[in-house]
Amino acid sequence: MKSTINRLKRMYSLIFVLALSLSQTLLAADASPRVTLDVTKASPRTVENLTERAIARDYKFAWTSLSLALEGNDTAPLNGLFAGSADTWFRQLVTSQRQNGVTSRYLNQSHKVEASFYAPEGDVIELHDTAEYDLQILDGSRTVHNEHTVVHYVVLMTPAADRWVVRQIQAVP
Amino acid sequence: MSSLINTVCKNHSLRAIALSGAIATCFVRVAYCQNAELHAPSGAIAGTQASIGTTGSGSATFYLQGPSTSAKRKVELGQDIPLTPKELQSAGRYIAVVCSDSCSSATFFVSPAKPSSLAFLVHPSRAPVAHNDVVSGVALPFDEFHNLVLEPVPIQFQLTAKSGSPTTHGTPTHGGIAWFRTSSGNSAGPLQVVASINEITAKRVVQQVASEACRLRIKGQRTPKGIVVETEPVRDCSGNPVPDGTIVTFTAKSGNQISFVDAPVKQDVARATMTAKGPVVLSAASGVAMGNEIRIGD
Repeated sequence: MKSTINRLKRMYSLIFVLALSLSQTLLAADASPRVTLDVTKASPRTVENLTERAIARDYKFAWTSLSLALEGNDTAPLNGLFAGSADTWFRQLVTSQRQNGVTSRYLNQSHKVEASFYAPEGDVIELHDTAEYDLQILDGSRTVHNEHTVVHYVVLMTPAADRWVVRQIQAVP
Repeated sequence: MSSLINTVCKNHSLRAIALSGAIATCFVRVAYCQNAELHAPSGAIAGTQASIGTTGSGSATFYLQGPSTSAKRKVELGQDIPLTPKELQSAGRYIAVVCSDSCSSATFFVSPAKPSSLAFLVHPSRAPVAHNDVVSGVALPFDEFHNLVLEPVPIQFQLTAKSGSPTTHGTPTHGGIAWFRTSSGNSAGPLQVVASINEITAKRVVQQVASEACRLRIKGQRTPKGIVVETEPVRDCSGNPVPDGTIVTFTAKSGNQISFVDAPVKQDVARATMTAKGPVVLSAASGVAMGNEIRIGD
């Protein structure tokens, strides 16, 4: 009798651990955007391997942080990842969302990014991102908009001290 | 320009309808849910006013979510919702939502306005003369709201050296970017680089400097303090004097002993004093340029 109870306990523990790890995996899948970067068409300068990896890493991090900022209405996650217009725009967006009690959530993000232009001196790169995600807009706890969408973005990134930053990001039809 | 219409119904209102059992009410509510449609503007331009048409009746809450703005206000269904120029300053995708019992949404795009400024990146700030493809420039047109103008725009690049007629090169932007790459001229001095779209111009200056020394000629004489050796004015292959600070290495061979002295060019000439006894062979080098050898006896 005691051994049966112990076996059941172990089984439930195992199920609990599996369920927990599965939920964490699913949450991670939601939270972390998938980014693939193709630099084969970049010109006039060729994108070096290390640069390619750095851009993919920093672009992914930028979207992760943007999602956090817009979901939590907090500008802190934007620090250091955006510059110029992109930085100004997203800060304005977060501020106005906060004033209106609105939040937005970008879920299940997938970004297929192509580099189309890499400046001769490597000081600016233009990316074309075909982004696919679920977008929810909430007023308080009420979902006022929910869509699965594919959006094309034209992105300018420039190198900063230790990373690439998003300087311009414009959705295009 | 494209737009998309989407409807989100409140679950609890539908549940309430089901519970009430009033089928007629349900039909009314569902019809209401479908009727509250939005007609998004097409061809909206950044910084210009636009409006969103609505159907239905009664009051509702309107939301506008854009690249840099989030707006919320009360509106009357069945009337146009005006969008102010300030709300549409940023180019990109906008989502308009109206909610009463249910929510309807529409998406639309705002295009950049006309170019009003040019971001112009030119490299390098100092370029050696007579080098191929050493000067490059990238121009990006922006509208007054800092949107990148993605429509092709013809950009003129004009390069003017201190001595020489300007050269002009026109190219349209592609994806909001136009660029050029060119060789430096033969004469040291400022190279003015101008990018322009109609009256909008951006000027940069590249300082063309002498390349590495091309030929070295040295002369020397023994003095009580040692052998004073100096170059003739050091010039590059185009005849431009090399910049002050260019290092010339002097070598003195005396039997099996070799000594070196590095001296910077100052006012076109590099000069050094070497201590060597007996007959000495002196030579000089700077970069890849080798100078003549001179022999000085006791």
